[in-house]
Amino acid sequence: MTKILSEQAEYPDQQELTAAKRRGAYEAWHQVLAQRPADVIGEVADSGLRGRGGAGFPTGRKWRFLQFDAERPPYLLCNADESEPGTFKDHWLLERDPHRVIEGILIAAYAIQAREAFLYIRGEYASLLPGIGRALEEARAEGLIGPNVLSSDYSLDIIVVVGAGAYICGEETGLMESLEGKRAYPRVRPPFPAVRGFNGRPTVVNNVETLANLPWIIHHGAEAFRAVGTSDSPGTKLVSLSGCISRPGVYEIPMGYPLQQLLEQEGGGPLPDRSFKAVIPGGTSVPVLTAEEIEGVTIDFESMRQAGTLLGSGGMIVFDDSVSMPPMLRAISHFYATESCGECTPCREGTGWMAAIVDRLLDGRSQIDDLDRLLRIGNNIEGRTICGLGDAAVQPVRSFVSKFRQEFEALLHESSISNAPDWQTHGHGPRTARHGSVADEIVRSEPVAGRPTYRW
Amino acid sequence: MPIVTIDGHPISVEPNTLIIQAADRAGIEIPRFCYHPDLRPEGNCRMCLVHIKGFANLSPACTTPVTDDMVVNTAHQHDQVRQATKGVLEFLLINHPLDCPICDQAGECSLQDFYLHPDYGLHPSDVDPKEKVRKRKALDLGPIYLDSERCVMCSRCVRFSNEVSGTGELQFIHRGNHVEIEAFADRALHDPYAGNLADVCPVGALTSRDFRFKRRVWFHHHANSICAGCSTGCNVRIDYAANAIDRVVPRRNPSVNKSWMCDEGRLSYHNLQDLPRLESPLQRTETGLQPVSWEEAMLFAQDGMQGFSGKVSAVVASAMATNETLWVLKQCAYSLPKPTEIDFRLQNINPDIGAREDHLLRRLDKAPNSRGAMLLDVGAGRGIEAMARSAEDGKVGAVVILHYPPLVGIDDNARTAAFQRLIRGAAFSVVLTNTISDWWNGADVIFPVASWSEEEGTFTNFAGITQLTEAALTPPGEARPAWRALRDLLPVGSLGSRFATVEQIFDRGVAAISAFEGLHYATLASREATVYPPEGRKSYGQEGFAGR
Repeated sequence: MTKILSEQAEYPDQQELTAAKRRGAYEAWHQVLAQRPADVIGEVADSGLRGRGGAGFPTGRKWRFLQFDAERPPYLLCNADESEPGTFKDHWLLERDPHRVIEGILIAAYAIQAREAFLYIRGEYASLLPGIGRALEEARAEGLIGPNVLSSDYSLDIIVVVGAGAYICGEETGLMESLEGKRAYPRVRPPFPAVRGFNGRPTVVNNVETLANLPWIIHHGAEAFRAVGTSDSPGTKLVSLSGCISRPGVYEIPMGYPLQQLLEQEGGGPLPDRSFKAVIPGGTSVPVLTAEEIEGVTIDFESMRQAGTLLGSGGMIVFDDSVSMPPMLRAISHFYATESCGECTPCREGTGWMAAIVDRLLDGRSQIDDLDRLLRIGNNIEGRTICGLGDAAVQPVRSFVSKFRQEFEALLHESSISNAPDWQTHGHGPRTARHGSVADEIVRSEPVAGRPTYRW
Repeated sequence: MPIVTIDGHPISVEPNTLIIQAADRAGIEIPRFCYHPDLRPEGNCRMCLVHIKGFANLSPACTTPVTDDMVVNTAHQHDQVRQATKGVLEFLLINHPLDCPICDQAGECSLQDFYLHPDYGLHPSDVDPKEKVRKRKALDLGPIYLDSERCVMCSRCVRFSNEVSGTGELQFIHRGNHVEIEAFADRALHDPYAGNLADVCPVGALTSRDFRFKRRVWFHHHANSICAGCSTGCNVRIDYAANAIDRVVPRRNPSVNKSWMCDEGRLSYHNLQDLPRLESPLQRTETGLQPVSWEEAMLFAQDGMQGFSGKVSAVVASAMATNETLWVLKQCAYSLPKPTEIDFRLQNINPDIGAREDHLLRRLDKAPNSRGAMLLDVGAGRGIEAMARSAEDGKVGAVVILHYPPLVGIDDNARTAAFQRLIRGAAFSVVLTNTISDWWNGADVIFPVASWSEEEGTFTNFAGITQLTEAALTPPGEARPAWRALRDLLPVGSLGSRFATVEQIFDRGVAAISAFEGLHYATLASREATVYPPEGRKSYGQEGFAGR
């Protein structure tokens, strides 16, 4: 299998510039400086590279949307605010091979003729900062970054900015607001970032993994990149495997790789005496797949779409038969309720309401129509928010409730009718408090050996 | 010009017009919380979502500009939009405290109005009141009270303080459904325009300290007026009941004050209420000033003003007076023994009527009609100071003084001292004023006149825009509008002596002066300045109570 991103990352000294250069780092950067920017964009467009942050938008086309002139030079923002639950591939890349990411930033910045590039890192990744700082210093000392890079006409500075820890900062316009020193509220589009982005200038935002692909594409050519993966999703994908699986971790696989095979071979299959129950294939914002649905699904944008889910960030969370789904949904829906930025109404009010309903399901205070209410709230959020995070919050709720409806319905019996609000039941029986009774049963169902049982 | 079709109505608008603006112009109601015509659109409330033909998702009408041949459908016509709008309103209400019975906004609240509309609301409640998110209540921010639970996070107030007043004192804190508005460290707002925050707030989250718990808004009568606090001439609406003003709020006029007014002007009605009002004509007798009837005082004044041949007649005008009053005052001056001097300025210096006090609305000239007085030519003499000197030299016969204390700030001592010298030096003096004070000591007749808000008329602002102010209250006691008192002083048969209404004075008198040419009282009265929210809006609280 072709390794584009991970081959050299396995070396323990890859973080050091001399070692990285010995393995070919910054060769593509030298190559690029001899080319015209339009040719670089052409090469990347020909390679068919699609954004790895989650949306899968073609990178070359994104760059071509950019509207700029000499007075308003564009900005390149590298999105390292990797906040999607279950995703840790960018952390892995930045930790092990920071020079690949830096080189990717340099190539992209040159292609769009940016004068400044920002590396926006989430606050929780503080442990990465010394390594990235050292890598940047080394590159600067060698003249790879800075004024008149490698004695050319081109000058570029890379500035590292640390976020304060909010999911919304990973949304590209929220990231720009945060970078401008404001509260990260997503912007209404249009205007799109390619026209007016950070500081009012045309801006490109690319994910860490997307940029890390660029040195290889420049070095080996668009043809070689297209030879890997599928025709619609060329190249490889870094997946973050976590949850109930024998060998969790980051794996690089070519696009089009069967999901089942990933779980069984790379992931080492389920834990002893367990079987897979479900997988969230692209971070919690995408619909969950049941074990039956996994069969035949391959890891690429199209196959995932056909299976009714999304490749997303490639953050795969695996559940086995010991896991009860409602408490998982509680964790996920609380994540979205607390991370909703609160700017627009449907997401602000809807995510909190959904979380409160999942809470009362698990706490034995459910109402008989709570599952339908959850789905109805989801429908009222989806497609009506400023940014995509409203939709993101709905997917897990809808897919969990519809695909594992029996587990949720089990929470409804008995308590539901008596727990309807007094003013709805019109006095049909007393209100009985049964706090925690059903939920305790569910969560107590055999914790996975050696793992903590999460109560949210 | 692009033609957009909204709910089947083709509307022709300028390029870059927003859908919501096109709909407003055509009178098609699109519900909104965050959109405000004088603030930058933000698109956060999602109440104004509309369907645009060819678009998969619904679009906010407040941030989407129209394009040619765009076909838009609103909640009135489109099921998907209606569902979305109902959904958004439901979201806004799930954590709302529903404390309308004790909320000042009740009756003019967007949440109430939209909920009562069958296309947006009237849904059964789906939340357990015990599960609502609780936030801070009745937080004292100086001129404003904040009730966070009622807030819909539309950010109008934040944008107002950032974009308009520029103090930037408000911000959002927390995340998700715990988001709240906060002033830094809950300190009192230091914004001379803070009162507007209560106006821009579409719900009861920000309410006015001044108006707090005064009266339910549907008991108010309304009068469209012009603020008399300075020469800007902000368009205001006076809300009053039982012959007392409860509050003054701005009316939208894009060419004068947009949707704003300053707090000084907003609260200036208190200064009026605090004045010791003169309620009866006074006449000088052996035992000092005595209350008399209007008829008696009028005869006494008419007799007293004549017969000073060889002496100067001095007439003091006021820039607090309406154009109509000033016009009649001028006729009055003509009828006095000549030579006659008339002026409203203390000294022979052209007033700087337009000088700004701040970046927004306030102007240093604290009189509403200085420009009108200049245009009417009652400010071309040697000034009041010079008249007072002439009086001290014994050269002045009859004196007529029209004076109102300013509604913002205090009376000018130099001016009232000059009045005193004028009265003492003159042979006969007539005073028209609304306040009991001591500068008039020695005057022969004093007439009580109506104040701002008690009479109709026109003011001409610093920029020369002539605007109508309607009467709200009845003057106290026997006080009458000054123009009526002055008209009755005119000799029978002279110009103006038979004018019976302000409209006649304006159309036949004021408008005959070249600066006012082409203006008609009736068109001024047609209220080109619109009220925000637009007057056509269904406001369920006010139906049946409006009107005077």
